[in-house]
Amino acid sequence: MVVLKENNLLNSLSQMGSGLGAKNQGFELLKELEFPTRKTEDWRYTSVKKILKKKYVQFNEAVQVGLSNEIIPSLDAHNIILVNGVYSKELSDVNFPDEVVIDTFPNAVEEHFSLIPSAFNGIAKNNEEVFTALNTSYFHEGVFIHIPKKVKLEKPIHVIHVNTKSNVISNLRILIVVDQFSEVSVVQSYASLNAIECLTNSVTEVFVKENAKITLDKIQSEEPNNNLICTVQVNQKANSIFKINTATVSGDFVRNGVNIDVDGENCTSEMNGLYMQKGIQHVDNHTKVSHLKPNCTSFELYKGVLRDKSTGVFNGKVIVAEDAQKIEAYQQNKNIILSREATMNAKPELEIFADDVKCSHGTTTGQFDEEALYYLQTRGLSKESAQALLVQAFADEVIDKVDSETLRIWIKEKLG
Amino acid sequence: MLKVKNLHASVGDKEILKGLDIEVKAGEIHAVMGPNGSGKSTLSAVLAGRDEYEVTAGEVDYLGKELLELNPEERSWEGIFLAFQYPVEIPGVSNINFLKTAINERRKYFEQEPIAAKDFLKMVKEKSTLVELSDKLKNRSVNVGFSGGEKKRNEIFQMAMLEPKLSILDETDSGLDIDALRIVAHGVNTLKSKDNATIVITHYQRLLDYIIPDFVHVLYDGRIIKTGGKELALELEEKGYDWLTKAKA
Repeated sequence: MVVLKENNLLNSLSQMGSGLGAKNQGFELLKELEFPTRKTEDWRYTSVKKILKKKYVQFNEAVQVGLSNEIIPSLDAHNIILVNGVYSKELSDVNFPDEVVIDTFPNAVEEHFSLIPSAFNGIAKNNEEVFTALNTSYFHEGVFIHIPKKVKLEKPIHVIHVNTKSNVISNLRILIVVDQFSEVSVVQSYASLNAIECLTNSVTEVFVKENAKITLDKIQSEEPNNNLICTVQVNQKANSIFKINTATVSGDFVRNGVNIDVDGENCTSEMNGLYMQKGIQHVDNHTKVSHLKPNCTSFELYKGVLRDKSTGVFNGKVIVAEDAQKIEAYQQNKNIILSREATMNAKPELEIFADDVKCSHGTTTGQFDEEALYYLQTRGLSKESAQALLVQAFADEVIDKVDSETLRIWIKEKLG
Repeated sequence: MLKVKNLHASVGDKEILKGLDIEVKAGEIHAVMGPNGSGKSTLSAVLAGRDEYEVTAGEVDYLGKELLELNPEERSWEGIFLAFQYPVEIPGVSNINFLKTAINERRKYFEQEPIAAKDFLKMVKEKSTLVELSDKLKNRSVNVGFSGGEKKRNEIFQMAMLEPKLSILDETDSGLDIDALRIVAHGVNTLKSKDNATIVITHYQRLLDYIIPDFVHVLYDGRIIKTGGKELALELEEKGYDWLTKAKA
């Protein structure tokens, strides 16, 4: 259907020099792919019509900005800063211990880093996901993070993305390779500064090699009237640990995709998400864990609080391949709806082809626990503060999954 | 302190209280006894302000105020406390933090400054000793992972912290072993003063060995059918409720 391709979004974009063959592959695929409609199963409850209609401005050079605490927390981290989708060398840290590499793709390639061509685009689903193909075709320089073998990076890496102009389109591309026996914590935060009507289309590819461990904390707090599509594609090898925590604070349109291929035995995969929505916010969390090898465990906890006219989507898929025996997969999605006009669509999906597995999933969507509310009121808490306390307790279960206390406090501050 | 006149209350279409009268003065302990289904828990819920119960007739005067006009938190601020038969578990809400919020909200209602952290901690220490509540339990989520006895002790701890004028103990003895019963009763007796009053709602006489009532009321089919002194409880223990309810029928 070519009609959809005649949209302002695509017309806003211009091709940049790539140096990577994959970009051309992206363009080819983009010609074939269609943008999703309500008839596309994975996008049934999330319409991209409004996003496609808008005209955007693409930046190819970093803009100078002053960044406040709101953007950079007091987290002691290696800060990597992208402004309007463009890596800012001035604002970013450039020296890292233990031969850790954090740089743009072109810079890293110049240093003869042979890993990029083989890893980049290796697991991104360009042929299925149009926004991924779009990203592959139009991202600026990307950020490559390589943690060499047997390195435990003490400080987290904080990749900060900020849009500073209205109507900006940012195609962010991050490639993370955590080599064998290494350990790292990466924070990806999405913010905006007096910018509205932006579209951030972020794709992160994560390779977790044998016996490696990575935690990825995503904090999404763009101002209202902004749109964010965030895809994380993960490949885990044997004995590895991958954990992702996603906190969605603001942004009118947020679509998160987390896809994990567990491609080795004895792996642990954990996904947690929190979305606190108000106004007309729409937040869609799609997760997919594919257990391809035996003896692995995955945990998933997504919780949301929906106010006003906000709408939410949760779709969690767990796939256990035929030979992947002894898999334990646990999934939970809980929602509290605080307004008659808010809507939640929750869909857990299990596709199990092995016979010796332990899987559970559950989803609840409801209002407050009336008993608890009444109990607190009889102790002298006004209805409002009792509700606030219960919301906080509900959210804390997810926030507590974040290892860093600084980040936990930062998230709570943002949630207000 | 409390004057209940001709109180009628329903849940859905079912009328449970059918013209209940009771008067409680400061310094008194009243026991309300009755067989299952007589309306004991409905009485406590109506007094505490649970909105599932609809009051269809009657009035409740509490210290000169129309109690039924107040919402549950206002009743609490005015000094009413309900110890639950089944204390609610609230995961993620800390026992101590919520009590501090509760105390400060009441102080705000009376236009007072929030309680100083030091004073609050001192109070926690003093009141938790009264019911032998361990530090571990104080800081945990409200009632989560508490045993039956610990939950009831926590109720009396909260009562001690909130210093109510009128306490209603709803079947506080249910599910308690004799040691826990003694601790709970000790707490209630220690908190008793000439300025406050207690309504003990119970099915069994057992609790009244430890908390000695000034008056015993028999609630049956939504009405008080007999009122007497503490000896009435013993009589009920011996003869059951039949001799009263049959006479009534």
